[in-house]
Amino acid sequence: MSTVTLYSVSSDIATAVLNAVGSVLPAPYRADVTAPTTETGLAVLIFTVILLAASMINTIMLIWWERKLLGRFMDRRGAMHVGYAGLLQNFADGFKLFRKHTFRPREADSVGFFFGPTAYMISSLIIFGILPISSGWSMGLLPLSLLLALVIFSFAPLFIFVSAWSSNNKYSLMGGMRSAAQMIAYEVPLLLAVVAVVIVSGSFNLTTIVAEQQNYWFWGPLFVALIVFVAAMLAEMERIPFDLPEAEAELVEGWNTEYGGMLFAFFMFADYLRGLVGSILVVLLFLGGWTLPTWVPSPLTAFPLAGIFWFMVKTYLVFGLFVWIRASLPRVRTDQLLRLGWNRMIPLALLSVFLAAALVTVRCVPVFGCVPSPGV
Amino acid sequence: MSEMWINMGPQHPMTHGLWNLRVRIDGEMILDVDPEMGYLHRGIEKISEDRHYNEVITLMDRCCYVAGLSWEHLYILAAEEALHIEPPERAKYLRMMCDEFQRIGSHIMWYSAFVQDIGLMTPFLYGMRDRDLILDLFQSYTGARMTYEYMRVGGVRNDLPLGFTDQARKVLDWLIDRFREYDQLCLGSTIFHRRCDQLGVLKANDCITHGVTGPMLRSAGVKRDLRKDRPYAAYDQVDFDVAVADGADVTARYLVRMEEMRQSVRIVRQTLDWLDRHPGPVIAENLPRWLGAPYAPIGDEGYLLKRRYPKGVGFSSVEEPHGEAQAYVVNEGGEHPYRVKFRSPVFANISAARQYLVGYHVADIPPIMGSVDICVGEVDR
Repeated sequence: MSTVTLYSVSSDIATAVLNAVGSVLPAPYRADVTAPTTETGLAVLIFTVILLAASMINTIMLIWWERKLLGRFMDRRGAMHVGYAGLLQNFADGFKLFRKHTFRPREADSVGFFFGPTAYMISSLIIFGILPISSGWSMGLLPLSLLLALVIFSFAPLFIFVSAWSSNNKYSLMGGMRSAAQMIAYEVPLLLAVVAVVIVSGSFNLTTIVAEQQNYWFWGPLFVALIVFVAAMLAEMERIPFDLPEAEAELVEGWNTEYGGMLFAFFMFADYLRGLVGSILVVLLFLGGWTLPTWVPSPLTAFPLAGIFWFMVKTYLVFGLFVWIRASLPRVRTDQLLRLGWNRMIPLALLSVFLAAALVTVRCVPVFGCVPSPGV
Repeated sequence: MSEMWINMGPQHPMTHGLWNLRVRIDGEMILDVDPEMGYLHRGIEKISEDRHYNEVITLMDRCCYVAGLSWEHLYILAAEEALHIEPPERAKYLRMMCDEFQRIGSHIMWYSAFVQDIGLMTPFLYGMRDRDLILDLFQSYTGARMTYEYMRVGGVRNDLPLGFTDQARKVLDWLIDRFREYDQLCLGSTIFHRRCDQLGVLKANDCITHGVTGPMLRSAGVKRDLRKDRPYAAYDQVDFDVAVADGADVTARYLVRMEEMRQSVRIVRQTLDWLDRHPGPVIAENLPRWLGAPYAPIGDEGYLLKRRYPKGVGFSSVEEPHGEAQAYVVNEGGEHPYRVKFRSPVFANISAARQYLVGYHVADIPPIMGSVDICVGEVDR
């Protein structure tokens, strides 16, 4: 039971498929098809496809979750008509966008206009190859997986700015400028908040960070870091109250004003991919990942794939918090946002680093218990 | 980025209608603005000259799509003065009730659009939900939810349906509770104050210089309300306060409008009580056929067909939800008005845009213009 990993599943599928194919083929080819290298190659391919499909389906479900939740906050029902409780609505919307003609304004730069959204989407998808979803359910034990994920996450302003600039539209350009300024300003507190987690857990490996939370989840002792991280994540995801790059009231649609059809779908999709990544990172860094506290009765933790189940529950709840914030807060202004970022968030993030260092020095906190020795 | 002009409009989420705000910006700063109107001009004043007096009412509903009844009232007052017709007392109260319900509806509509401008989505839907109740009331006695065509020269078209006043009181009770909720969602938020305090300031002197009226003027501390200063309908018979705020900024305009809605509820409650106690005719007697009296007696056909009114001019000014609207109707003795002229408050309020926009940020344009409460239908007519 405990050895079921994503790779073992895909490897089993690959073996079964290759054996089936091999049994049909004439003898000379049989050995080639069932050779270990072929098997490994196919297993990796299946592994990737499963991961891609899982991340895509989860992103679409996340949009559904946001629409339903937002609807309830607003005293309405949200999507209702396509599928049960509107579950298939987003697939229908996506299909509509897929069928639409993709056009480019005459004066727009043809390379940047198509490169921007594509790269934005792909870079957001790559992160899913790094994030562990449950013990064993990840691409591999990358020692610096957290750092790699954040690096890829921070590519986005470049691609947004490229697509905004090449749209040859004043609103797009202003949106792109805002987006770049905002993301760069909030990258710093985001990383500092992560540093606090790294100090306590002693590792950049996400799997290790989750394992280090066996005594207590990090949200309690690192509460300041959590606040900074969530706020910075909101800015990175460009969600209300920090959604001014695409503030529709003044900038029409911000940096994606000129985009329609599938390219617009890329942007929307990548936005929610990043929302999913943000929620997953909060769960991994502060909420114990796929683990549950030891006092939880075992029937709740022992069923098959319990780790993934609880991980998804936590992720959707965290995203629900983002939706709640979106439903209840107005949008701040650019200068206020930047002032908040540089003047408030960075000192707060530094404080959280200091607190983390103090925690590691003291080692034991009354309510939460003891820190595991760092670097193990 | 160097300086550049951008067109906010005619198709832009900020405009709330069909007009264009040209803005010269340097980065995020506003250096100059230039409002352009006229995209929605339909020539209502000219069309009115070819229509019977009561047919102009149809056009009045198209003046402002959220305050149709207020504009009907405005025109009717001027037309009655020009034709020397006196409406019955009950009609006056009915018109006053229409006006005040319309004011609440219009202000809720403003609230919904305004919060959308500063990025709040939830109150937008709350506002639309509550406005629906008022539209339901309108539908129950005018038959329409948007273009009512309810008022007539000499009165109103029909009396209230049975049980209307009780239903209306229930709606008012509900609304009073909701206003508290609106305040919690806006005034309770720090970000709201960050976005709206000290923003779009237009002091009392500038307001008066540029002919700015309505909630914008009252938010600058000027206690000017036509319902008190120049009472029409039966406003001198009811008890209410004029909503005034200091600050002259976006927050002050918000406060004024919220208080006005509460005062409107007060007025409507008194009006409903009066209407319960005083049944009677709702339209003047002996109106000629061409004034479209639906149940004019058919005895004296010749008289009612040919009856003309002596020449005259009529002027009226009404405290419309957006400000002071004025109408001028010239009666040359025919079945059509000879000349009709309107003064739109929003036109003056938008025209002063340079005074309250320059020097702020691009991101401040939606909240400031939202606080003006724009209705382009009446700007262009």
